[in-house]
Amino acid sequence: MTNKQRNLLTSVLFLAFGIFFFMQAQGVKHMIPSDVGSGYVPAFICGCLIVVSAAKLIITLTRKDPADNVKKSSDSSTVGGVVTILIMLVYMLAFEPVGFIISSIIFLFALMNWFANNENRNIPLFAIISVLLPVAVDALFVFVIKMPLPKGIIGF
Amino acid sequence: MVPANMIAEAFANTFTPMCLFLIWFGTVIGIIFGSIPGLSATMAVVLFLPLTFGMETTQGLALLCGLYMGGISGGLISAILLKIPGTPSSISTVFDGGPMAEKGEAGRALGVGILFSFLGSVLGIFALMFVSPLLAKVCLLFSAADYFAVAVFALSIIASLSGKDMLNGLISGLIGIALSMVGMAPIDAVVRFTFGNYQLMSGFDITVLLIGVFAIIDIILSGFGRDHLADKMEKKKYKLKGYGLSMKEFMEQIPNTIISAVIGIGIGILPGIGGSTSGLLAYTAARNRSKYPEKFGTGIIDGVIASETANNATIGGSMIPLLCMGIPGNTVSAIFLGGLQVHAISPGPLIFNKSGQYVYGIYLALIISSIFMLIFERAGLPIFVKLLDIPKHILLPCIVVMCCVGGYSANSRVFDVQCILFFGLLGLLFKALKIPSTPLIIGFIVGSMFEKNLRQALQAGHGSWTVFLGRPIAMAFLIITVISCAMTVRKNMQDKKAAAGKEFDTSEEDG
Repeated sequence: MTNKQRNLLTSVLFLAFGIFFFMQAQGVKHMIPSDVGSGYVPAFICGCLIVVSAAKLIITLTRKDPADNVKKSSDSSTVGGVVTILIMLVYMLAFEPVGFIISSIIFLFALMNWFANNENRNIPLFAIISVLLPVAVDALFVFVIKMPLPKGIIGF
Repeated sequence: MVPANMIAEAFANTFTPMCLFLIWFGTVIGIIFGSIPGLSATMAVVLFLPLTFGMETTQGLALLCGLYMGGISGGLISAILLKIPGTPSSISTVFDGGPMAEKGEAGRALGVGILFSFLGSVLGIFALMFVSPLLAKVCLLFSAADYFAVAVFALSIIASLSGKDMLNGLISGLIGIALSMVGMAPIDAVVRFTFGNYQLMSGFDITVLLIGVFAIIDIILSGFGRDHLADKMEKKKYKLKGYGLSMKEFMEQIPNTIISAVIGIGIGILPGIGGSTSGLLAYTAARNRSKYPEKFGTGIIDGVIASETANNATIGGSMIPLLCMGIPGNTVSAIFLGGLQVHAISPGPLIFNKSGQYVYGIYLALIISSIFMLIFERAGLPIFVKLLDIPKHILLPCIVVMCCVGGYSANSRVFDVQCILFFGLLGLLFKALKIPSTPLIIGFIVGSMFEKNLRQALQAGHGSWTVFLGRPIAMAFLIITVISCAMTVRKNMQDKKAAAGKEFDTSEEDG
């Protein structure tokens, strides 16, 4: 993405966000007559956001800097990032129904394997850490902090 | 309660085996987080903040103090051995610490760095102890209008945290304020922006936001950089006896220490600048007044001393506006503010009257933590150095689990765990759009203070904004805000012209 494209995306995205929340703020109930109301400050903040985003949009459209159109190459792995996000999403969704210990064991093992390459992949070590960490953290929360973590449908 | 009783209570609460253990534990963990590049003091404090919820207040704050102190100091280990600052605060330590390591003096650089980190911390804490009560007395004269002006001033930090693009910083800060308005409003408790989700009625939790924006984002980015996760960094070997310098050398460095500490404290008090800038300024000041400026950057202890004294003195300095006015000077103190709020401590001029025992507890915890740091960072160097070898592909998944547990324990609800990923993705969007995320946190924290005091002030002024014109304190803060923002804009424009985009960008202070 070039700087110009990035700045355009930023300004349009937050301009739309500002307009949407400004409209939402207009619908907030006014409870105390002597007060400006609970929608006043949100509307003010969204107004500021609209002004700042619009200013950014105008500057981006009117500025003619060759550096803004240079596209920088990146060697980051899109698949690597997306799969990492998906693994975390599944873990967080499974946190309550499956329970902390089991979901964490599966998550740790999966993410360690995903992050490791063929040379440093050590399955037995990953398995040991994946089991020990959730069990230790659960014990800490149950016995020391006295705040049980989700047990899930299996019950532990 | 008279102050003497509060001080006695603070001593009684702090000098318990559990509290001392927590300070030690926090300091050691902080050093570990600070020493490993990619982890930071910020992440350490964020990760352990939820653990403090169930603790007695002094113990919880003591743990956070230890993490903050250790996290800032730990950065010097990788700065010297890997030439990569573990935290941004140690950027200037690399300038001379790195060349010292290359000359075979890594041990001496580490020893000197640890010793002067301690001295910088102690000087910063003394400044905190003597300046804070005086500032708090002045703040007692403040009304709602004045507090609104203070909130505006606090938001002006965003200008200096925005880096090269101030509009992006403003957008980030405004989104932060907007997020703080989700849920029940102050004053009349009207429910806003929940879109029918009852979980949002109590709003977003600061801990959840912090974990998402500062910890989960790093894991996601590691996923994008997965191909380079196993890349090894070249590590220098070290030998060290004592703290690596003679008494004569120590005496010669006293003026450098004092000047660097004063710079660190001053930068700490000024909101939004942070430890990396204080280190760079102290380094520059030491070089400018040195008899041998040409030797700076070639591996001399003067540079390491200036950098480490200043960045640790910043800790005490940043606590002064935090405790007296509730203004967080940098990212870690913003999280610390969240920690105070979790324990029902309201920073402000009355903090010495209402929660004096905890404030004195913080002073004691910081002093004890700096002593632990001096002893255990030196004694544990072989272990901390070994920890630099922990593979990222094992460490990062473990951190995600700790983050989720931290998010869950904030309110004992799974919704917060899911919000962590949401804020992590928001952080990723910000990263992709090159929007700084620290203003988001500042906006979120100051947002409620901004709204509540603005509404109260407008209520008192019958809806007229002229209410601020009649308050000298409010006017003073608003004028300072305008001047501060104008100076930042001017400096940014000068930097752009002078460096043509090649300047050292220290805007995003991580710890």
